[in-house]
Amino acid sequence: MIVSLSSLALGLVVGYLGQRSRMCSIGGLRDFVLVRDTGLLRGAGALLATSWVAFAVARLIHHSGGGHGLIASGTTPSGLGAVAAIVVGAVVLGFAATLSGACPLRQHVLAGQGRVGAWSFLAGFYLAAIVYTSWIQPSIGSWVL
Amino acid sequence: MTAGAATGGQEALEARLGERAGRWARSAVVYGVVVAALAVVVGEWLDVSPPAAYGLCSACHGRDLADWVVNHTEGKRLFVTAAGAGWPLLTVLGLVAGSFAAARRNGEFGTVDIGGNVRQFLYGATVMCAALFVGGCPTRIIIRTGYGDLAGALALAGVAAGIVAATLTLRWAARR
Repeated sequence: MIVSLSSLALGLVVGYLGQRSRMCSIGGLRDFVLVRDTGLLRGAGALLATSWVAFAVARLIHHSGGGHGLIASGTTPSGLGAVAAIVVGAVVLGFAATLSGACPLRQHVLAGQGRVGAWSFLAGFYLAAIVYTSWIQPSIGSWVL
Repeated sequence: MTAGAATGGQEALEARLGERAGRWARSAVVYGVVVAALAVVVGEWLDVSPPAAYGLCSACHGRDLADWVVNHTEGKRLFVTAAGAGWPLLTVLGLVAGSFAAARRNGEFGTVDIGGNVRQFLYGATVMCAALFVGGCPTRIIIRTGYGDLAGALALAGVAAGIVAATLTLRWAARR
């Protein structure tokens, strides 16, 4: 039950802050390339830097695995095929998300503030989640890692 | 000092604090710091794990919730991560509700339909498939990179390349 409550509370806080700050994890790079605006890019940088520090602190407090090196254990891709799969999948992800106008998290925020296009986006999003886990994932297996 | 003056000062202080909090909430850097810290806390201590660095993800948590609902209503056995298998992950509902509350509170809520809904639907489907393939939405890819996940760092580089390619494509298409 804790998992439902904590994830709901996190979602509420992130949704509130996301609406106020218009933060989008792909919008930063897009704005930088288009108009050299670094506002959102600094937000993405802060996200990366803070999570790096916070995970280091969490490892100090309780030794929850992941190793103590720069690279967490069990996260190295198994070979060139896995590396290529990750990079190609990620390029498709970045490309499609940029064309849709916002990252998936930002689309949830836009849906909450009444953007109809974001509702259509989320309809396709959740339909694809069920389709992917029902048919695509079993047939292609786990490529990544 | 009279009681009236004291409460007046208190109100002014509260107003100033409220204004400052509102300005902080509009900062993307504050968002990044708060969200990353909360995501790590939730992932490490509040049961949103395993997998590792799973505190916040709009794609995987959405997949877990959608599959959890299908599993419990249709009796299927779709894949759900260990974190969201027992009780469901409600992050995505919180996201929409939190954004709705913020928009209502600040008078920014309004249904806006600028068209292109079929296209957005297809983009949504593509983004979900790609995100589940690489193991996270862009936000979680950033958090995974912070965790020290080499696959996450590779995915972050790929996403960045995809964003730059798409942005240059859009600019090229707009200038033709």
